[in-house]
Amino acid sequence: MHPTIRPQVADQIDPNQRLSAIKPLGLGLYQKGLIGMKISVRGGLPYPLSGPAISGPTDTVKTDCIALLGVDYPGMRARVLVDQGATVKAGTPLFEDRRNPGITVTAPVSGKIDQINIGAQRRLSSIHITVAGDDRLSFDVSKAHTNEGLRALMQSAGLWPALRARPFDRVPPLDGQAAAIFITATDTHAQAPNPRDVLSGLETSFARGVAALKLLTPGKIYLCQHSGDALAPADEQTQIVNVDGHHPAGLVGTHINRLHPPSRQKPVWHIGYQDVAELGILLTDGHLTGQRTITLSGPGLSTARYLRVRWGADLHALTRKDLQPGRKRILSGPALGGRENRHLSRYHLQATVLDMPPERPRNWLVAALRAAAVPAPFVPTQAVENALGPKLHVVPLLRALSIGDAESAARLGCLQLAEEDMALATYATGGEVDFAARLRDVLTTLEAS
Amino acid sequence: MTTGIWQRNMVSWMLVVALLPVAAALWIEQDGAALLRFGVALVTILIWQAVFLIARAQPLSPIAVVTAFAVALLASGITEAWQIVLAVSFGTVVGEQIFGGWGRNFIHAGVVALAFLYFAFPEVAHQGTGIWVAISVLPGAALLLLTGILSGRVMIGAVVGLVVVTLVMGADPGAPFLQGSLVFGMVFLVADPVCSASTRGGRWLYGGLAGALIALLGWADVGIAAPQAVVFAALLAAIFAPLIDAGIIAATTKQWREHNA
Repeated sequence: MHPTIRPQVADQIDPNQRLSAIKPLGLGLYQKGLIGMKISVRGGLPYPLSGPAISGPTDTVKTDCIALLGVDYPGMRARVLVDQGATVKAGTPLFEDRRNPGITVTAPVSGKIDQINIGAQRRLSSIHITVAGDDRLSFDVSKAHTNEGLRALMQSAGLWPALRARPFDRVPPLDGQAAAIFITATDTHAQAPNPRDVLSGLETSFARGVAALKLLTPGKIYLCQHSGDALAPADEQTQIVNVDGHHPAGLVGTHINRLHPPSRQKPVWHIGYQDVAELGILLTDGHLTGQRTITLSGPGLSTARYLRVRWGADLHALTRKDLQPGRKRILSGPALGGRENRHLSRYHLQATVLDMPPERPRNWLVAALRAAAVPAPFVPTQAVENALGPKLHVVPLLRALSIGDAESAARLGCLQLAEEDMALATYATGGEVDFAARLRDVLTTLEAS
Repeated sequence: MTTGIWQRNMVSWMLVVALLPVAAALWIEQDGAALLRFGVALVTILIWQAVFLIARAQPLSPIAVVTAFAVALLASGITEAWQIVLAVSFGTVVGEQIFGGWGRNFIHAGVVALAFLYFAFPEVAHQGTGIWVAISVLPGAALLLLTGILSGRVMIGAVVGLVVVTLVMGADPGAPFLQGSLVFGMVFLVADPVCSASTRGGRWLYGGLAGALIALLGWADVGIAAPQAVVFAALLAAIFAPLIDAGIIAATTKQWREHNA
């Protein structure tokens, strides 16, 4: 019933230890990266999502309005570089991080800046762009064959924020060093796009992106994929990892926990498969497509399908045609851990439409008896432990998070995790405690210490 | 985002459902007397839950039914209502409510109440229950294991600990499993998800310790048929559970510790 790793070679952190565990015959093959590693997650939770099955070809849909959301870059204090009403091309920098000048987020489309919304504590809330024309900036890729050149290219093209570093799950600094880079070509969320289908036709770009990422780190590149043919060629540095099992087998937190737990001194970076393909296209063509392939599904829709949409696409416009009658919740992201939002988030590869739960008339006494001011604690059943993928002491970790004990949580391994890993814990305990929010609070405390 | 159904109250309702066959068996064996004990205990617990709801804003919990039932089943010799009121008040307040309610406690409230009864009124003789109760616990235990509320590790650890120590003491290893009160206590008191150890290795150790203590107290002290054995074993094991967890965590998390100068 437990998540275990059954590697074809042992999965210790130190490669030398790992080598000693396999037969001499396999040694050379392993060093060349030709023997794949394997992660099997036993347990996990195949959580149900009703609604129509995904069908039909991938349509390209262009919405009139897109938005970049400040909430996608939680560690960033944004300095906005454009004015309201300005005309931008695809690739124009829109805002940069005050604390790490040079980390910029660029416009994925050309058009006019419609709104710049500043939220609480003067943080950037969103930038809305009305799409017009097809002007795009081209980027110089001639120096992209070196570490510095590639970093500069990714930075100027706005692809650097595709990388995120753990611990803390933040966009890494431009001069940061990664102990390893994980490429996540797995997705085990309900009705998520199948990475193999999305990448068919983009194999060359994807392989080129994978090869380019090797410039960024002297460490390993782990290409985590669903079992099958390798999505990109393996070599000494690139390790193919086949992943089996129910959700959360596909989450990068599970892979990082099994293969290369990070520390503050040795952070691990990760990047999604569509961003890797985008990097390959950037290196070939000199510009971004600014698009991604998502699935649009859920019980609130009459049909579920694959769509090729722009970053930050307007989900209300995308779903309007297929909505079933009644009140709905439109989520950017999966049903588990998605965010109710009008626009597609930077890192999400699916959008889900759920039915709004009916509002029941509430009696004050019943309400008081059901939920008092002190939230009910979670009950650490065996099912909660089985549901989580990382091999950690799950219940002590959740207990430490629920009371905000940062020191214990760090000792129990919370530095390896991010909000998405905790969505399943929230689900399995009935949603009374939002463990994702608690984890972020604890990580913020640890980040400041 | 969606959330699952396994909130705290849902888990405690499942425990209540698992009790139903046992309640039927107890009715057959003891009829009215057990029902009276159950009613007195339940009313007392609900009053204390209401007090803590008003004073500390702690939500009510159906776990009151499980606690009251444990007292009704395992304190079979009690005939005076005031004794139950006293013991259950102590158990639910000191064992559960002052920690913040079920889920934040570290000893089962029923175990505390029963230990109080056994210590405060030692002259009362308690009879164990028979084979029908032992059999009727099984469907509930299977339900709780299948829904992932009980840990299979704790259950197997307890059975192994019980059998091994019974064999060491030269007794019949099958005899404990015919005692209704003992089987009930192993499932509903020892394996309680809140009070048992919560780390992976810790659950085995905790189960083994509880099983060994049941056999030790049962064969060497009060007799395997007496309900005291399983209650005191559950009490001692629950007290050791945090220590077991701390030991397992200390032994296994060295690799994640940061080495700051």
